[in-house]
Amino acid sequence: MTVTRSQIIHRLRGIMARTATTQHDWDRVGEEDAIAALGIDSLAMLDFVYDIQQEFGIQFEAHELVEVTTVGKLATFIGERTTA
Amino acid sequence: MGERRRVVVTGIGLLTALGGDGERLAGRLFDGAGGIGRLRSLDAAKFKSQNAAELEPDALSMSLTALGLRASDRTTDMSLVVAGQALATAGLLPGGHGSPAEETAVVFGTGNGPSHALQEAWDTYAQKGGRLMRPTTVPRCMANALSSMVSIHFGLRGGNYVVMSSCSSSTTAIGIGYRSVLHGYADRVLCGGSESMFTETLYASWDNLGVMSRHAEPTRASRPFDQDRDGFVLGEGAGAILLESLDAAKARGAKIRAEVLGFGESSDGTHITRPSVEGQAKAMAQALRSAGLPPGAIDFVNAHGTGTKANDATEAEAIAAVFGAAGAQPWVASSKPFFGHLLGAAGVVETIACVLQLEHGRLHGNPNLERPDPACTVRLVGREASSQALRVGMKNSFGFGGGNATLILGRFEE
Repeated sequence: MTVTRSQIIHRLRGIMARTATTQHDWDRVGEEDAIAALGIDSLAMLDFVYDIQQEFGIQFEAHELVEVTTVGKLATFIGERTTA
Repeated sequence: MGERRRVVVTGIGLLTALGGDGERLAGRLFDGAGGIGRLRSLDAAKFKSQNAAELEPDALSMSLTALGLRASDRTTDMSLVVAGQALATAGLLPGGHGSPAEETAVVFGTGNGPSHALQEAWDTYAQKGGRLMRPTTVPRCMANALSSMVSIHFGLRGGNYVVMSSCSSSTTAIGIGYRSVLHGYADRVLCGGSESMFTETLYASWDNLGVMSRHAEPTRASRPFDQDRDGFVLGEGAGAILLESLDAAKARGAKIRAEVLGFGESSDGTHITRPSVEGQAKAMAQALRSAGLPPGAIDFVNAHGTGTKANDATEAEAIAAVFGAAGAQPWVASSKPFFGHLLGAAGVVETIACVLQLEHGRLHGNPNLERPDPACTVRLVGREASSQALRVGMKNSFGFGGGNATLILGRFEE
């Protein structure tokens, strides 16, 4: 079943709330927000990648996210793999 | 470093089945109202022992939210909560660079460390294999996450480490902190303990060891020194106390809750689970020497008092060896019927119970002592609390592995 973009972002907010090292109003986090500004440090990134893989049932390496700097770009990245 | 300084308690934090507030705990201790119920977080029907002292369902998550923290491992999370309470009640928050809290050391005790993170790792390995294990399994599962996360979150830059000596862990942690302040190695040490073994594998392990009560009535299951005792009731929880030199506490106008007067420790060197009269008596005698007090100066003993046949009989004999016949002994009671056996966290939470009793001038009772065991020749407090002129108390903790630890605590007097 195809996952919609809004569903991806909603589920990403839940993952970020669990893994980020800082608190945010996650319901207000959207496409333009920079991932680096949301408290995902290098250690949290390990859990972040792991939880995305588990949540969406996809596999990728962390270095593939180097160019994925915003929540919106991450939603695109995940969307491409869940529909592949 | 040859000086001997007075060591005082200026902060307290706790989280047990009876909540996270010292005065609430004092009320429950003196009312005789414990927090033991039927096991909730696991399927009780799977186990022979079905009694437990678990936190109220939302107690931990609400406390974490108040600290701005997300859940990690239950044991580590409880450490953070009680550390925050102890620092707050000591008047040391907010901390940070240049604050009095900055050079505070952290010493925590635990029997097993981050048990829930370990269970999650085992489950993932069993279900998905090693390649799909969480990449942060190591920092989540290392036992010193308890003290390290406290150090990191509150910016405490003295030493930090964890003591693991089973049920004497957090009493030993306090003893180490006491010695550090006593001899001038630190002005402040945050000492604590945390434990939650309500996971499938650990609860089953304790269940099969046959040391937990199978009493049908949860509120009557923990009955130290009673003829009908049949084991302990597992509890979960954490506690922390801020130890400080008297001079440092006075310099910042801190409220002083109690004084740590002495500490003794020993190893049985005999058996991994069977306790030893000689080992326990040695720890108590050493604590008295450390405090420079005769046995007659002790008003009460807060016993390890697990409610197992072996522990209580051995501890009673050890107390008699140190203090003499029952008529000459201090009052003896166990706090475990109130919040269960907290294993590595038992010592610090029971030390807090001692501080509360010294502050209030009241001894809690042995609420399930219906038929005192005549083989336990100790001067047991009855089932009800009683008002007493209390100046000095002794806290015993004895662990599997043969590690014995005894603290001596006093009401603060100038």
